Amino acid sequence: MPTLRRLLRLWRLYAWLDFMWVTRSFEKFAVYYLGDAIINAAAISSTLLLAERFDGLGPWSKSHVIFMLGYAAMTTGLLEICCGYNVLYIGRRLGRGQFDHTLLQPQPIWMALLTDGFNPFGASSAFLTGLGLVLWASRSLTSLVNVGWLALCVCNLLASATVVLSVSFFWGSLAFFAPRAAEEINTPLLRMFDHVKLFPLDGLSGVMLNGLLTVVPVGFVAWYPCRALLGHAPAWYAVWTTPLAAVLCALLAVAMFRRGMHHYAYTGSSRYRDMGHRG
Amino acid sequence: MNLRKHARKMWVIVALEAASTLGEDVLFIIQFLFRVLRVVVLLSLWRVILTEHDTAGMTLSTILTYTLIQEVCAEQLLPRTNIEWALHDGGIAMRFLQPLDLVSQFMAHMVGGWVFGLVFFSLPLLLVAPWLGVNPAPVSVLAAALFLVSVLCTMAIGVAFDFIFAALLTHFEGSAYMVGRVRVAISLVLSGALVPLALLPWNLGAILQWLPFASLASAPLRIYTGTGDPRLLLALQVAWAVVLWVLARRLWQHYREQLVSYGG
Repeated sequence: MPTLRRLLRLWRLYAWLDFMWVTRSFEKFAVYYLGDAIINAAAISSTLLLAERFDGLGPWSKSHVIFMLGYAAMTTGLLEICCGYNVLYIGRRLGRGQFDHTLLQPQPIWMALLTDGFNPFGASSAFLTGLGLVLWASRSLTSLVNVGWLALCVCNLLASATVVLSVSFFWGSLAFFAPRAAEEINTPLLRMFDHVKLFPLDGLSGVMLNGLLTVVPVGFVAWYPCRALLGHAPAWYAVWTTPLAAVLCALLAVAMFRRGMHHYAYTGSSRYRDMGHRG
Repeated sequence: MNLRKHARKMWVIVALEAASTLGEDVLFIIQFLFRVLRVVVLLSLWRVILTEHDTAGMTLSTILTYTLIQEVCAEQLLPRTNIEWALHDGGIAMRFLQPLDLVSQFMAHMVGGWVFGLVFFSLPLLLVAPWLGVNPAPVSVLAAALFLVSVLCTMAIGVAFDFIFAALLTHFEGSAYMVGRVRVAISLVLSGALVPLALLPWNLGAILQWLPFASLASAPLRIYTGTGDPRLLLALQVAWAVVLWVLARRLWQHYREQLVSYGG
């Protein structure tokens, strides 16, 4: 209970700091937010336009594609809200030696990482875009939507975000071992996720598909959970596959991160040395 | 400055930049793998969609070639000098001190940054194209030659865009990060780099093809795949290059006086 209270206090603190950033210069915030909205709209527009042109994509109807795009945007939005300031791009923090700042804080590392990237106002654009798309698509999904389905939807959404975060931490942990080389490793990884998550993956060969659900589990960002939620995958366990994958990915990420921490305990960071690469 | 001396200076920058890719960015293999993955997903998507529908004059085979060549030449078809980052980190101050004009410096850095990717990603991707079920060959030898000319026009337009955005960034004191991302996002959609403009609904492609963004990626790819009139596409590219360079020059000369920079 004290842990939860502390978490809530920290979230409130970071939300307040974010709100201060928004109000400090509304003009700058508006430009930033508008820019973010343009990026989000541009990201989904290609798939949206294709779905309009071909009245859906393969076995996916137009409204199902819109739902998937909304779900994908909400996954991204959730991570942008909860894991800002390079928590999602953990390789940058580690590679730049900024992890020392986290170690200095009077709280456990997990708590610091879970809270200090919280920016619910400034980074809400992707989430709101996604929510809008899901609501738009839900007009055609009335037969599916009920309380149980909504609960499963939220559960899968959290699981999808966990998968992305875990993969990011898994690869980003390489920056413990190679700070300069792996500092930006999350960028191409997440860029690839951003591109691939927008398309239904039904047409891929078995080997590729298995690879996209295991080695690089981008299939769990939107395609697989939406497929399960919209009834494209009839098996009963389909709606539980993404949460299970999230647990497995999180375990792997924690193991990799701890291994990196172990290495870090011996080598430390070069940030504050005279010849540090960012010195 | 005579032309030979100028070219030599640019060549030195190109060589330094090309070498630095290997020294500073050794995780390039992972980046290349991610790019391969993306193109494989796109190819499979086209196969699913286009076997069931007509495609406005573009056959499935043509679109697969279009997608593959787009990825092979991704950096050349959406060229970036990263001048906004030089403004952001103050590196621009050092650039002004170097004995070469700014445009030549940034172009040389840009071309140098391509070398490694062309040799270790683009070429291998072209070679494995038949295994991906894609014919990577241009529609004719003439189309291949005109494609190269068209890519040069794309470079001119892309660099002009960069200097226009940089001038506006200097004036409005915006975020380099945001400007860079917005530029890439808009370019990807409007240039036909991700989805051929002919596949867009409501005849949008017919309108977008006249915009300067389409002269970046769509024009050279249409020339390569033989799905557009090369004379018209090249004329349009040259016209946009001239218009944008006049605009870029005026804006940059005007707004660079407002530039204040530390460090670099």
